[in-house]
Amino acid sequence: MASKLGIAGGIPERRVRPIWDAIDSRQFKNALKLSASLLSKYPNSPYALALKGHILERMGKSDEALSVCLNAKELLYKNDSIDDLTLSTLQIVFQRLDQLDMATSCYEYACGKIPNNLELMMGLFNCYVREYSFVKQQQIAIKMYKIVGEERFLLWAVCSIQLQVLCGNGGEKLLLLAEGLLKKHIDSHSLHEPEALTVYISLLEQQSKFGNALQILSGKLGSLIMIDVDRLRIQGRLLARAGDYAAAADIFQKVLELCPDDWECFLDYLGCLLEDDSSWCNGANSDPIHPSKSVDCKLAHLSDEVFDSRILIASAFVQKLFAEASTDSARCPYLANLEIERRKFLFGKGDDDKLIEALIQYFFRFGHLACFSADVEVFLLILTRDKKLQFLEKLMEIRESPATTAAKALEKSLTLFKIQELVGNFFTLPASDLEGLAVQMAEMYCQNLPLSKDLDVQESMHGEDLLSMVSNILVQLFWRTKHLGYLVESIMVLEFGLAVRRYVWQYKVLLLHLYSHLGALSLAYQWYKSLDVKNILLETVSHHILPQMLTSPLWVDLGDLLRDYLRFMDDHFRESADLTFLAYRHRNYSKVIEFVQFKERLQHSGQYLMAKIEAPILQLKQNADNIKDEESVLKSLKCGVHSLELSSETGCRFLSFNEDLQIRPWWTPTYDKNYLLGHKHHIKRTTANVPKAIEKRSLLPRMIYLSIQCASSSLKENMATNGSMFDPKVSLELKILLERYAKLLGFPFQDAIEVLSAISSGRNSSEALSSDLIDWMNFAVFLNAWNINSNELGPDKDACRPVSLHIVNSLLEKCILEKLRSMGPLISSPGSDLPLLVQLVTEPLAWHSLVIQSRVRSALPSGKKKKKGGPAEPTNSQLSQEIRDSIQSLCAVIEEVANWLREQIKSPLDGNVEIILSSLGLKEQNEGPGKVFQILQTSISSMNDAELGDRISQALKSWSHVDIARKIVTGQSTVLSEFLQICELKVKSLQALKLHA
Amino acid sequence: MTTIRRFCCNDLLRFASVNLDHLTETFNMSFYMTYLARWPDYFHVAEAPGNRIMGYIMGKVEGQGESWHGHVTAVTVAPEYRRQQLAKKLMNLLEEISDKIDKAYFVDLFVRASNTPAIKMYEKLGYIIYRRVLRYYSGEEDGLDMRKALSRDVEKKSVIPLKRPVTPDELEYD
Repeated sequence: MASKLGIAGGIPERRVRPIWDAIDSRQFKNALKLSASLLSKYPNSPYALALKGHILERMGKSDEALSVCLNAKELLYKNDSIDDLTLSTLQIVFQRLDQLDMATSCYEYACGKIPNNLELMMGLFNCYVREYSFVKQQQIAIKMYKIVGEERFLLWAVCSIQLQVLCGNGGEKLLLLAEGLLKKHIDSHSLHEPEALTVYISLLEQQSKFGNALQILSGKLGSLIMIDVDRLRIQGRLLARAGDYAAAADIFQKVLELCPDDWECFLDYLGCLLEDDSSWCNGANSDPIHPSKSVDCKLAHLSDEVFDSRILIASAFVQKLFAEASTDSARCPYLANLEIERRKFLFGKGDDDKLIEALIQYFFRFGHLACFSADVEVFLLILTRDKKLQFLEKLMEIRESPATTAAKALEKSLTLFKIQELVGNFFTLPASDLEGLAVQMAEMYCQNLPLSKDLDVQESMHGEDLLSMVSNILVQLFWRTKHLGYLVESIMVLEFGLAVRRYVWQYKVLLLHLYSHLGALSLAYQWYKSLDVKNILLETVSHHILPQMLTSPLWVDLGDLLRDYLRFMDDHFRESADLTFLAYRHRNYSKVIEFVQFKERLQHSGQYLMAKIEAPILQLKQNADNIKDEESVLKSLKCGVHSLELSSETGCRFLSFNEDLQIRPWWTPTYDKNYLLGHKHHIKRTTANVPKAIEKRSLLPRMIYLSIQCASSSLKENMATNGSMFDPKVSLELKILLERYAKLLGFPFQDAIEVLSAISSGRNSSEALSSDLIDWMNFAVFLNAWNINSNELGPDKDACRPVSLHIVNSLLEKCILEKLRSMGPLISSPGSDLPLLVQLVTEPLAWHSLVIQSRVRSALPSGKKKKKGGPAEPTNSQLSQEIRDSIQSLCAVIEEVANWLREQIKSPLDGNVEIILSSLGLKEQNEGPGKVFQILQTSISSMNDAELGDRISQALKSWSHVDIARKIVTGQSTVLSEFLQICELKVKSLQALKLHA
Repeated sequence: MTTIRRFCCNDLLRFASVNLDHLTETFNMSFYMTYLARWPDYFHVAEAPGNRIMGYIMGKVEGQGESWHGHVTAVTVAPEYRRQQLAKKLMNLLEEISDKIDKAYFVDLFVRASNTPAIKMYEKLGYIIYRRVLRYYSGEEDGLDMRKALSRDVEKKSVIPLKRPVTPDELEYD
């Protein structure tokens, strides 16, 4: 607080301190009172006013705060009494009000009035940092540097130049300028900060001046980097980038001698030895978030002899590392051997047996480590399937050798199972063998429970991975056999594991996907919440639940998800620049660049853009039953323009994808693939198509708005509801958007109309629309709305006639009822079309009902409207009948859906529980699912408390598979009830509308 | 087999499988970025072959006079990379930087009094329980302030255990 105090505009500290204290303790009312009395004494003090503005802003009174601060700003200019305290207070408020330019102009004014004041100039620099005005940052930093000649200000300028090149539109020539500035400074003052040297070297690297950089590094300045291996690593990198591979390999060898377990360095060493530039040329590591598991290699340029001799050198070096490796757990020499064998393969001189031998050696030493299979994954990839199996066989033989401890024996067995998974056995083994494997794993898990009896509940237990694998196998069996029991069994296994220890996040992730697939989304969401996903994990982990929620009726939960995510991102964007300035202040210049680039990456996040577009669509869905509410939502969305702007031009380009997909289950490796759905559904889109999908969604709010407009004007000879003339531009704009929408669907406008007309006339089935069904229905709805109006406007009306109110009704009816009839009871139909049904009702049907509401409203002789024309025109009675029919038709469709839902919900709980339990085949034991489940059940009953310890035995006692079955039924029913409620509200509002139509 | 390097922002997008562990807190962005902006040498990540994140350590250096010390704010290792002494490697690195570069007197850390496995591990690494901090964790659980002296503290004064427990408001640093 001390920094905020002092004499500000002649106000003594003792008068100001209580106000700041009140603000800091969030007693804003009290603060406001104190501020009022301060202002009565100093009515013309900009500081006193700025303080008031600050308090008002904190109270949420943004408009008042802004006007008070603008007054303060004016007074500041008038009084000529500039002080940093007033400025920084104003800055805080303006920043919180998203008025960065106001704050900047205050500081610009101050710096103009009091030139060469370093404090104020730093304040101004900070303003430019907040605005990401790199050029202005550079200019003011140079000014400061010229005044005091300090190294840090020069580096501020240099960073600002680098930012212009890396994140702005500055040309690379600017780097030369930065280099010149630094050189000049070094000549007269040298450099004193390690980070300054890092920046200098990066500057030279960016210009490919590797030789110069090396010279500097080996000179006096090099000593600024105090850790030897750090300096050596830079040197190695520079040499490699300069193409001097021999020297670079020597350097990397030195690093490895100092840090024998450094894998990255070994790869660099080997790459340089083989004169392979693939990791050094531009574009290497192009996606730092999803790096590939193995390094690419270019070896073709080497002759046989050279390759052989280099490999010999590498092998000899690795042998030396082996010899010198202490007893600690250095894995590097082992993996190094494997990598050498891999390169031989890539060069065409691979030897399977040698590679297998190296793998076996590694297994001998580290087979008990949980990461063994992950470590060897890339090496197994180059073996043929036969060789992989051969390797597996050998491992099986070795396993027979006794392990030192029971825990190690378990871990080694686990590794063997993981290797089986890795070599693809889960996909190729016959079902009975696979089932046998799962049974074996479950037995092993249970038998080894006593090993964990003394562990704290917070600690990972031995063999936890076994249950994940069992669950994966059971899903595999479900995939092959479509037998529901396997899916249920897979769920039971994971729930069992969580009953034993409730913290295993791997189980939770698998479960939430299984529950989603089973239609028990509310359960999935509960497990998701138990993962406590927050802060940056919202960006990387939300994909496990968000896509399912977007098509679900769980609107409240979806709203929470979207809100929390967007709030996190927006908060970060707000504070990010201040953190960048912190890096400037602490002279960690490389972090400055990193922070700005990171902010840009997040700002271009595909998921962020999608959430920004889906959040308003959710609001529109929630309010679609009442046109007035819908219109006020639309108003807050700038009539849909806001969403259009988001996806326009730069919005959809250069999207970044930050989802961490590694921990997804095998059967849904990305959020738009689900192998369990079979061929008709999966691979809807890939990341390349995401921009298109987002753009399509971004058009919706505006099209809804324009459709309402078009519909309301149709009945009164181009008169809009408010009595003003209907603007033909509305119709024109809707047509342009429809054309864009059609194009995104892959069709020219007229062809898209033809597709719809073929379906509505029965010439084609709605199946043809496949995965784009919702988009097509939306298109039909908006096309009709446009059509209503263009009948009176355009000459091309006949061309569009295939879509009318009636036709849209029947299209919707057809699609919804088709879906409905194809659906079995949710309980026994995993991966059902329920989400599609929900979408049909809550999107196209809802938008269509808005069109109808709009037409009804404009036909109403309401007293509130200033109608200039008389009562409805003669043709209106005909239209009115059409509208009444439409309402009737929609009501009937929704009623059918609602009846189906009621029937589902009504079916007795016990009956449904019985269906689930009997799917486990508990009664007949020969074929099909249930075997693993039996193992779990019998193990529980056969183990005694002393073996298991209190905690585990208590947990096992509380486990009940019937409870889980009941939970599944209730979970599904929650989703159905939410949907039913939506349907009932829709019917109610349509019926009310019928009275007016 | 590990590559240990400075933690960078992009690693925040890659550490989900480490941080989903319920004992690993996912802090807000300004917390991570403040550490990166102020003490980048104290924030390291370990990567396995195939570029998997194995774990990371974050810390800082602060204090006046003989209290100038390195502090371990968080150290965490993903389950599949445990029992390879990775935490030890990461701790040694932070100690070395505190000792050699910043010339600190000691390194300290706080741990839940109930977290016996962690306490045992730190003891193995040479840390002693310097003092107990009453209700340090959310006003509920006690914390233990553990310390290890560095070469600058020749007489090892910094690690003479306090006789009585302290309350959180008596702490010099958070």
